[in-house]
Amino acid sequence: MKYLEELKAKFGERIEEIKQLAHNQWLITVDKDILHEVVVYFLKHPEWKETQLSTMVGTDERPLRGKFSVIYWLSVNGNSDDVYIGIKAYLPADDPRFKSVTPFHKGANWYEREVQDLLGIIPEGHPDPRRLVLPDDWPSCVYPLRKDFHYSDSPQGKKYYPYREPPQGTTVHPIGPYHVALDEPAHFRLYVKGEEIIDCDYRGFYSHRGIEKISESRLTYDQICFIAERICGICGFTHSTAYCQAVEAAGEIEVPERALYIRTIMLELERLHSHLLWMGVACHLTGFDTGFMHAWRLREYVMWLCERLTGNRKTYGINLVGGVRRDFLDYRKEMIEDVLKKLKSEFGKLVDDLTSTRTFIKRCEGVGVLPYKLAHEWSVDGPLGRGSGRDFDVRRDHPYAAYGDLDFKVPVYKEGDVLARALVRIEEIWESIWIIEQALDQLPGGDILAEYKEIPPYREVIGTTEAPRGENVHYVMTGPGNTVYRYRARAATYNNLPAVPDMLRGYTIADAPLIIASIDPCYSCTERVQIVDVESGKVRILKEEEFNKLSIKASRRV
Amino acid sequence: MMEKIVFALITVMIIFLLPPLLDGISRKVKAKIQYRVGASIFQTYYDLQSLLNMEPILPTERLAFRIAPYIAFASALAAALLLPFGSFVPVAFTGDFFVFLYVLAMFSVAMMIAGFSVNNSYTNAGANREMMLILSIEPVLGVAIGVFALNAHSLSIGGIPLNITFTPSLILAYVLLAYAVYVEGGFIPFDIAEAETEILEGPLCEYSGRLLGMFKWAMLIKRLALLWLFVSFLVLPIMKNIIDITTFTGGLATLAVQLIVLFIIYSIIAIIEASNARLRIDQAIRQNTRVFLAGLVVLLIAALGW
Repeated sequence: MKYLEELKAKFGERIEEIKQLAHNQWLITVDKDILHEVVVYFLKHPEWKETQLSTMVGTDERPLRGKFSVIYWLSVNGNSDDVYIGIKAYLPADDPRFKSVTPFHKGANWYEREVQDLLGIIPEGHPDPRRLVLPDDWPSCVYPLRKDFHYSDSPQGKKYYPYREPPQGTTVHPIGPYHVALDEPAHFRLYVKGEEIIDCDYRGFYSHRGIEKISESRLTYDQICFIAERICGICGFTHSTAYCQAVEAAGEIEVPERALYIRTIMLELERLHSHLLWMGVACHLTGFDTGFMHAWRLREYVMWLCERLTGNRKTYGINLVGGVRRDFLDYRKEMIEDVLKKLKSEFGKLVDDLTSTRTFIKRCEGVGVLPYKLAHEWSVDGPLGRGSGRDFDVRRDHPYAAYGDLDFKVPVYKEGDVLARALVRIEEIWESIWIIEQALDQLPGGDILAEYKEIPPYREVIGTTEAPRGENVHYVMTGPGNTVYRYRARAATYNNLPAVPDMLRGYTIADAPLIIASIDPCYSCTERVQIVDVESGKVRILKEEEFNKLSIKASRRV
Repeated sequence: MMEKIVFALITVMIIFLLPPLLDGISRKVKAKIQYRVGASIFQTYYDLQSLLNMEPILPTERLAFRIAPYIAFASALAAALLLPFGSFVPVAFTGDFFVFLYVLAMFSVAMMIAGFSVNNSYTNAGANREMMLILSIEPVLGVAIGVFALNAHSLSIGGIPLNITFTPSLILAYVLLAYAVYVEGGFIPFDIAEAETEILEGPLCEYSGRLLGMFKWAMLIKRLALLWLFVSFLVLPIMKNIIDITTFTGGLATLAVQLIVLFIIYSIIAIIEASNARLRIDQAIRQNTRVFLAGLVVLLIAALGW
């Protein structure tokens, strides 16, 4: 990699190790004191314009080498190179601290708060070190992702959360945790003057399910495929694909070509249904229910098709490490072609209807603007980034599955408003249809699943996919006996959601639901991490501890 | 006397029982446009019935919160009673045109009372929007009816449609009236004060059970009153040339035509609603202001006698 020499010249001795993990992944181990300098060096590198912070992983490596570690994963996008760089530093077990990157790059905000919550690794100089992931009533100094914490524990603390003080002269307008415009719980605390939004605070992570902890504690590689797919109810397949790719890279498993094509087709079908779903929701939020109904009617064709192809409308469950579980029969290929034909004609009409509905366009235009500079600072991805002029797409910049063989465009708009995001998604639907058509034509024959035996332990690797909402990054550190030692899933919304307060400021509470929805947020994706948090009234009567024990016992039986 | 009683009975049926049916039809039309089967056209009756049978949950002890739905209901009823049903006008006196505008405003005041009587940023936002909307659209309605009054030299709503003469300004007045009625009726894209996905139905957010049922019913009656005004202004001037309205059969025939036109207009509104998104309050006010200024020009034309 050409920039490594430059890096060595700049930081010299303090770079401890550089090693290549996969064909496009490098891991650079540095001294913990210069960690933030190296990260910022890459993020602000003048030649890598679309470099972004893809994920950050904190690991409790005390059982292995008596230390904690953090890795910042950066992706180099755009026309630069197909490169992922991990920058790793080891932190002493008795005093795990490192210098925060957030003051230099906003996008690191959530990541650093998360390692602080879950592992007790402290980012020094973080501007907003409040709790992010753990529930309000979780006791302090209990860190669930440390290896000495058992996954069935559920300690009880006092309920408290330090919300920001409202700015002077404003009142609090809470959107959520339950609100008709939010499909999942999230809490946006708007500070408003009349209808104008002055500022916004966010509290989320209400739907933790402990997926990472469970994966590390009691599942095998193949079982994780299925729980990874359940990270999201809408774009689950890209999660399981990203996970599989990570494990396949770690185990150097050669995936049969036919499986790659089947994955590609399913990924694009998933994108079709997800974008149509989003269009419907956007219409509904502006009161345009006709658009809503028609978008979802078209989506239904895709759902039916997926049911025929995989047995499920959603959560297809066909991914395994090494390939896929189900083959496409020939007559089902024709079904795909039929659905695409129907979609092509009816989707064109729907788009015409939408763009000719003046009131709808008026609500979307010039609303929720996220300028390019902010988009870069927050490291936003997917249609949100592309609507703000960030020209990157994992499918094109880091080809996976069969995307390297296929031809497609990546739409980019500069306006950065809700309308630009809508247009990006509309164009992506056309591209998806085109991608599926090509993949069907070129679908090779042969096997669909590669066998694998032992995967060497303690290899670190990431798998990435372009979900309908943006970049998904799954980090896997393999462990002994075909289990994972550390698993970290990062959904697209994790990078997009922190930027929402910046998009809301200056607009009105009438725009708020549409702006929030315009990033196509997926809260359960973002909030996959922790232990079960039970808060409903019923449970209180049962006593939480008992309930937790009961539910864990019940799930063990499965 | 007998004739009066018949008309009075029909009128009461129209005012109280027709609005939910119209809403049901509107819902059905929208469902068809959206390729849905849709609920039965009687669904709104069922909804109201179940709401009215339910005990409300009160978020506040304030009396204002509890009586607001009844004020709204009374205002909507009062507005409807001033309108001509065939030849029969339940309540008529000179100057009732002003009363009509007043009671309509009263309805909005009731909504505002409802919204401001609880400490909730959603209901407050809804009440605020209702206020802004009503302040921007009542003048348009006033100007539109004013042009008619000027034309007919009458200040009574029952009298105006029987005395108008055809002039160019009158056509513009019809356009203004249609716009004002549509906006004031709170149809999409002007359902801003009760926007569900934005502010959880605004002033109605804290209401439940019987009180919510009363509010919903009152809103439907208000819509009927507004549309009936437009329909009467449209139908009566034509019918009076065809048939003698003052006779019993003439009156009944006119009433029948009014009803038919009402159904047609309600269906057209459903189509407009289905093909629009909701406007933001500032956009709606800007548009209403422009229409109001145009209305003043129309008033000037009418004053000049064209």
